[in-house]
Amino acid sequence: MGKTFRRGGRRTVALAGTSLTVRAGDLVSLLGPSGCGKSTLLRIIAGALPADEGSVTVGGRPVTGPSPDRGMLFQTPMLFGWLTARDNILFGPRAQRAARRHERDDPELDAEAAALLDRVGLAGFGEAFPHELSGGMQHRAAFARALAARPSLLLMDEPFGALDAITRERMHEFLLGLWDQHRITIIFVTHDIEEAIVLGDRVAVMGGRPPGIREIIDVPLDRPRAADSSGDTEAFLTVKRRIRGALRS
Amino acid sequence: MTLPTVDQVFSAERTGQSRDPEPVLAAGRDEHAGLAAYRRGRRRERTRRLGTGALGLAILAATWQLVAVLLHDPVFLPSVSQTAASFAHYFGRPYPAQGQPLWADALTSLRRVLIGFTAGTAIGVALGAAMSASRVVRHLTDPVIEVLRPLPPLAFIPLFIIWLGIGELPKEVLIMIGVIPVMTVTTVASLDAVPEDLRLCARTLGASRWHTMARVQIRAALPGILTGMRISMAGAWTSIVAAELIAASSGLGYLIMQAGDYLNTALVFSGIIAIAVLGLTLDACLRGLLLLADPSRRR
Repeated sequence: MGKTFRRGGRRTVALAGTSLTVRAGDLVSLLGPSGCGKSTLLRIIAGALPADEGSVTVGGRPVTGPSPDRGMLFQTPMLFGWLTARDNILFGPRAQRAARRHERDDPELDAEAAALLDRVGLAGFGEAFPHELSGGMQHRAAFARALAARPSLLLMDEPFGALDAITRERMHEFLLGLWDQHRITIIFVTHDIEEAIVLGDRVAVMGGRPPGIREIIDVPLDRPRAADSSGDTEAFLTVKRRIRGALRS
Repeated sequence: MTLPTVDQVFSAERTGQSRDPEPVLAAGRDEHAGLAAYRRGRRRERTRRLGTGALGLAILAATWQLVAVLLHDPVFLPSVSQTAASFAHYFGRPYPAQGQPLWADALTSLRRVLIGFTAGTAIGVALGAAMSASRVVRHLTDPVIEVLRPLPPLAFIPLFIIWLGIGELPKEVLIMIGVIPVMTVTTVASLDAVPEDLRLCARTLGASRWHTMARVQIRAALPGILTGMRISMAGAWTSIVAAELIAASSGLGYLIMQAGDYLNTALVFSGIIAIAVLGLTLDACLRGLLLLADPSRRR
């Protein structure tokens, strides 16, 4: 798959010869430096950008545009500031109902919102507006909102990049917990090697000119993993060294 | 009164989104105190702020009264009590040189402002939305707006009298001319400022294109548009009073001019206070809408 941006007669190849297969239920990290095409690839999968060469298929069906089947989480929580946490969570189901994509009725939605708020640790904050929540709470609300739309694939674009190290570690545990429960497929974009290893079943290393996936490295570590507990073990360091090598080559 | 330019106010509003350094409900500590306790604290803070604001106004009135009593020259500076008496007297009774009571003049000015402001806002928002949506419209309209924007609307008064006569229409059009560029620029800026990812986010949650435009993009731009309305409302009062000072036979501007001609300074002040009260009231309405539209300003 490839993508070229044209602006004012100048062509910039953003992605070339990229191929990635993700099994259902997998968590794949996309790792690379800035400008390596990570976000472009994610947006093509989301259906926000068309691919110039090749195509994306999810569950056997080609991607033609954004769909609630492919949820997305961004660097910032992107909550709707004029809606309470509960209404943010219900935005997806309600929009889908407006588009007649599904028929969940209101009592069912209320129960679902309450359950999701509880699951992301925001019970009692359903009526809070986004600006009344801390950074970590906002990210958890964004999570709940993405899950409420019932995606089978979750695309995450450096979602914890702006958080402090402690909150970020909590969010990792939280993400893995939800992934375990819901068994959804996740593609996680990051520029942090340790984050990529802690989270991913596999790490797709991106970079180069023209940019693309250089190498896909398996992470044969037992879960739960954490950078601090398993960070010193030989296996963790071996994976880290392999990824470093792939990034440099 | 010098008003800040649209861009100044607007950049202040924009950066204002991240103005709050305190991390609201920090996880862990306040998470147990809960939302209700947090909001109670916020309300107490607001009450204290309003109290301080009222004190500021009281100090202004006290200073005015003190200086007026010391000067003892009601033509140069009538006291607060003299002004209040004049206001009460002429509120329901016409001034001899003028023909209608203060309340009727206030209503006349208010009607002109509301008609011109509503029409100007509608046109400005529609134009701004079209400019934000279409590159061709933007490139076509932008230079026109940029040429018109720095022109003081008052420069058009003689033209409007020639074209539209001396009735109500030229005054309403004058206000429109002042409101349209401000509303166009703020609408474009507010719609442009909605992050593309916010729209993508709505689409990945299952919202249709139409749903995303109406419920996300326009909704997210609403506070900015309301802020533009507050700015252009202040401009509308400047325009109408100036127009009434120059070419009118009714309205608060005309009343002030008449009172000045007869050295009835207390009535001049009464007219000014009437404008202030009307201006503040309309601004309070817009502020109320802004608070409804943007919960993060409720503090």
